[in-house]
Amino acid sequence: MPNIVFEKVEKSYGAVQVLPPLDLSIDDGEFTVLVGPSGCGKSTTLRILAGLENLSGGEIYFDERPISALAPKERDVAMVFQDYALYPHMNIARNMSFALRLQRVPAAEINKKVRGVAEMLNIAHLLERKPAELSGGQRQRVAMGRALVRDASTFLFDEPLSNLDAKLRAKMRIELAEMRNALDKNMVYVTHDQIEAMTLGDRIVVMSEGVIQQQGSPEELFTRPANKFVAGFISSPTMNFFDGELVLEKDVLWARGTGFLLQISPEQTQRLNGHAQRNVSVGVRPSAFSSDPAVGSPIELELVVSEYLGAQSVLVTRCGGKDILVEIEGRAPGTAGTVMTFGVPQKDIMLFDQESGGRL
Amino acid sequence: MSAPVHERQNPAFYALMTALIVMSLGPIVLMLSNSFKLNVDIMSDTSSLLFLPTLKNYETVLCNTLWYTPKHVEYCNPTFGWALGNSLIIAIISTAITLVTGCMAAYAIVRFRFLGRGSLSMTTLLMRMVPPAVLLVPVFGIWTFNYCWGDECLDGTYTGIILVYVAMNLPFVIWILQSFIVQVPIQLEEAARMDGANPFQVFYLVLLPVIKPGLAAASIFTFRIAWNEFLLADALLDRKTRTVPVTIVNSLTEHDIDWGVIMATGTLLAIPPIIFTFVASKQIIIGMTAGAVKG
Repeated sequence: MPNIVFEKVEKSYGAVQVLPPLDLSIDDGEFTVLVGPSGCGKSTTLRILAGLENLSGGEIYFDERPISALAPKERDVAMVFQDYALYPHMNIARNMSFALRLQRVPAAEINKKVRGVAEMLNIAHLLERKPAELSGGQRQRVAMGRALVRDASTFLFDEPLSNLDAKLRAKMRIELAEMRNALDKNMVYVTHDQIEAMTLGDRIVVMSEGVIQQQGSPEELFTRPANKFVAGFISSPTMNFFDGELVLEKDVLWARGTGFLLQISPEQTQRLNGHAQRNVSVGVRPSAFSSDPAVGSPIELELVVSEYLGAQSVLVTRCGGKDILVEIEGRAPGTAGTVMTFGVPQKDIMLFDQESGGRL
Repeated sequence: MSAPVHERQNPAFYALMTALIVMSLGPIVLMLSNSFKLNVDIMSDTSSLLFLPTLKNYETVLCNTLWYTPKHVEYCNPTFGWALGNSLIIAIISTAITLVTGCMAAYAIVRFRFLGRGSLSMTTLLMRMVPPAVLLVPVFGIWTFNYCWGDECLDGTYTGIILVYVAMNLPFVIWILQSFIVQVPIQLEEAARMDGANPFQVFYLVLLPVIKPGLAAASIFTFRIAWNEFLLADALLDRKTRTVPVTIVNSLTEHDIDWGVIMATGTLLAIPPIIFTFVASKQIIIGMTAGAVKG
C-alpha cells in the first residue's frame, strides 16, 4: 500500500483552472475523505489520481514513484463510481470478475474470489442476475464488490452513496465503516456529505474552490476548525455566525453586535488583547446553547420555527435580523414569536476574522 | 374490478385498416399464389384462387441445385441458382464490412475530439444526398477503365459492387450507431479502463455488446439495401456475378415471359431478408443500458 503524494498537482481545461496547484499526502493504509461542496474540485482530484483525467502540471507519487504518465491499469487502483457503472450485458458474477478475466487469472481462482467478496457483501444469491434486475442498494454493493475483488492497493470511491435513499445510505455507511476496519488498504473517498466524512474518515480533507481548507482527524476539524468555511461545513446543523466587533472593557473582552453581547473567555482574551475594535464573526454551534441563561453570557432569541425531530428539536430563531439555529432536547418550550433566553458558554465561542474568515 | 372498456371505433377506421392490409399484403399474396401455378392458370380468366398447386416453377428455378432432374425441364438454366448465391455473397460481405468499419468510425466521431470532427460527421451524409443514379455513370467509368489489373477490371467483380455498397451504406450506419453510442454512459468505459481494459477491450468487450440493438438495426437496413439494389448491380455486374433482382428483370424478354418462374424467384428472393430480419431483430431489445447507471 503506497504512500500517495500530490505535488503541485494542477488541472485546467483550456484557460479555466479548475484545480490550482495542490499538495496533499495520503499515508499508508489511511481512509482519507475529500469533502466539500459540489464544484470544489474533489472529484477532479480523485479522477486525476485514478488516471481518468490528465493533470496539467505537477506530479503524483506512489511511494516516490511518479505515476502521472501511467494508464489506470498500471496504477493498481480500483474505483467505485457514483452511478455504479455496471456492465449491463454481463451478469453480476461476470461484472465482478471482469478485471480478473482481463488479467487472465485462472477460472477457479476467479470463482473463489468472486464468491468470497459476494458473501462478504451479501450479494452471493444475486451472482446470476443482470444489473437491471437489482435494486439501487444491491447495485451499489455490486459496484463495491467489483472493486474489492481486484485486491488493488488503493481504493477510490466517488460519492458512492449519493444515489441511495437516506435510510439505505445510513446502512451502507455503517457497512463501509465495518469494511474499512477489516481491510488494510488505502482508501480515498469523495463525498459532499459531511456526515459520511465524519463517520468514515481517518483523515478528512476539506476542499473549497480547488483549495484545501484544512485537513485532519474528524475531532480536529470539529474542535479546531481553521477557518469559517470549515467550521460552517463540518457538523450538522451548521454553525451560527454573528457579525460584530470585539470590545475591551476593564480587561474583559466582549463580542458585541445587534442583539448580543458575549463575554470571551480569559484565555482568548489574553490571546486577542490587541484585537479590540476588530470586526469579527462569532461562531456558536447550535448544540452549544444552554437553556440555562446563567451559563456564560445570556442571549435573547425569538422563536420562528421549531423542527421537532423526536429526541431533540432544532429551533430556527431570530436575533438582530439573522436566523440562528438552536438545538435543544425535547420539544420547543413555546410557539412562534416567543422570546427565549439561552446561555452561551465561553468555551464554545469561536472567533473568525470577518474578511479573511480565518480563525482568531 | 370491471373489465377494461374498449372504445367503439368508427367503421371508417376498420375500412381504412382493411384497405391498408389489402394494399400491403396483396402483392405478396399474388406473388406467392402465382408461384405455385402453371402459366396456363396464371393467364386464365377464370377464378385465380382455385388452382392445383404445383412446385414446377420452383423446380425450374432451382434445377441445377436439385439432386434430381425435373422431368418437365427441357433445358436447365443455372442463372437463378447462381444469382441467388451471388446475392447472398454480396449482401453478407458488404453488410459485414459496413458494420465493422461503421461502428469504429461512429465511435471515433462520438468519443474522440479532433479537428474537423463536426464537418467529418456531416460529410458522411453527403453520400446520401445524391441519388444512386447520379453515381452510376462515374462509378461505371472508373470501375471499367481506371482500376484494372491486367485484363481484370473492377466492373463485373464482387469487389467492385461490394465497395459501392459499403460506400453507400456506411454513412447511414455511422449515423445510426452514433446515436446509440452517445447514449452509452461514459462511466461504463471509465469503469472498464479502471478494471484494466485497453482501448480495444473497452470497445469490443463493453461498448459493442451494449450497442448490440443498434448493430442489429443497422445490419437489417444495410443487408436489405444491398439485397434489393438493382440499378448499380445492373450496370456493374456481368453474367457470372449478377444478383437476383437483375436476373429477374433480365428474364423478361421479347420471346417469352415465364411469369410462374419469375414469381417463384421473387418468393425465393424474399426469404433470406425475412430470415435475416427475424434473427437480427431478436437482438433489438428495449432498454439496452438498463441497470448500467443510476437514472
